[in-house]
Amino acid sequence: MPCEFGPKQNMAALCKVVRAAKTGADVGVFTRRAVCVRKPTFSTGSSGDSGTVGDAEVTAPAPPEKPKSGFAAAFELHADMRQKQDRVRPSSASDETSFASMLRRSPLVQMGPAKDKIAVGKIFHVVGDDLYIDFGAKFHCVCKRPAADGEKYQRGSRVRLRLLDLELSARFLGANSDTTLLEADAVLLGLIESRDAKPRE
Amino acid sequence: MASGHLTKAFLRLGSHRPFSVKYSCRLYGTAAAAQTRQVQNNSPAENDKILNKPLKHPDFFRLSELFSVKDLFEARVHLGHKKGSRHRLMEPYLFGCRLEQDIIDLDQTVEHLQQALNFTAHVAYRGGVILLVSRRRQFSYLVESTAQECGEYAHTRYWQGGLLTNAPVQYGPGVRLPDLMIFFSTLNNVFQQHVGIRDAAKMNIPTVGVVDSNCNPSLVTFPIPGNDDSPTSVELYCRLFKMTINRAKDKRRQMELLQGLTSASS
Repeated sequence: MPCEFGPKQNMAALCKVVRAAKTGADVGVFTRRAVCVRKPTFSTGSSGDSGTVGDAEVTAPAPPEKPKSGFAAAFELHADMRQKQDRVRPSSASDETSFASMLRRSPLVQMGPAKDKIAVGKIFHVVGDDLYIDFGAKFHCVCKRPAADGEKYQRGSRVRLRLLDLELSARFLGANSDTTLLEADAVLLGLIESRDAKPRE
Repeated sequence: MASGHLTKAFLRLGSHRPFSVKYSCRLYGTAAAAQTRQVQNNSPAENDKILNKPLKHPDFFRLSELFSVKDLFEARVHLGHKKGSRHRLMEPYLFGCRLEQDIIDLDQTVEHLQQALNFTAHVAYRGGVILLVSRRRQFSYLVESTAQECGEYAHTRYWQGGLLTNAPVQYGPGVRLPDLMIFFSTLNNVFQQHVGIRDAAKMNIPTVGVVDSNCNPSLVTFPIPGNDDSPTSVELYCRLFKMTINRAKDKRRQMELLQGLTSASS
């Protein structure tokens, strides 16, 4: 706690500088007392109250003994609350979100039926004219390299797809279970041209 | 409860003394080979302490901190195949079916994965031979490199019929069989159950297997219901098993060093 650098320390440092300047200027008693009252973060400020023109506090601001008032009190309260939130939030985010709520909020479920939905995929493998594109579902899709801008479709390029099916599988005559191709089906629409990070994934 | 179950399973995986061959169906190499894996310096009492101490804790290697439901979710472990490909015996592990795609219940997966990783860690701690198996050609390199990085073995090629059941004839007399087999996909390339699962059950070798919604989980000792088709999920499994095995081996070395120090000082 005493070692962290935050707005509280900055404010304390600022007050320290202002106070040193004020005492150094040898102003009248009223101003000095007012200065002391308004900056109670100094624990050793009581020694300077009677008017000793000593050096500014050498040590870093120690935890105050006097109760704070006014802006300083409100600031410290808010700083503590924010620190507590930051400490608690990382753990609670993963604990409290259950699998069911994660699933409900996932893009896959929010999307609904996959037929004719637009998605963004990334090419992770190229074999000649075949592009293997992963768009975040269980399977990847394989598309033929289009004639237009063919050389731009390399490993790592992001492309737009129109999804048709998330898994190509069907029950054939006489079979006990479906025969699956372990692939999704999508139509390649084009490259994502802009260099800026798109908000939608 | 888990420690009792583990103790029974590990009676045979104790220190590899030559005369223990006749108590187990495990085939060892020559007597010299069997002796090299024995811990030389410590007395039998200290040996027992090293071997029995981890069995008293439910999570001795602290494997629950390696993963969370969120990690599994982001690695797409919950996605299953279509309804038509579903295996009847996988129905208890499914959360539901959404637009004909089965969703695997990650709450159950977390428990099963925890048990499987714990068992793997205990086997690795006791110096067991672990065989990683996968017939998915897409991930064969990944599985082989994982095995290399944790100092264990992998088999990602065509499985010859008598590999486990006919080992002394095929590979020479006195071959040590694996003590654990980890299947990253329990199906082979024609969507039938991998022969290794049945053969491991015949040879009393425990198996850990990732079972997707179209797999049969019955013969797998520690099934892990989860996706075995997406690269992200297989990479997650490989990473978790590698970290588990390395952690267990490091722990063993640490315990032996500690024992060596305490016995030297006393």
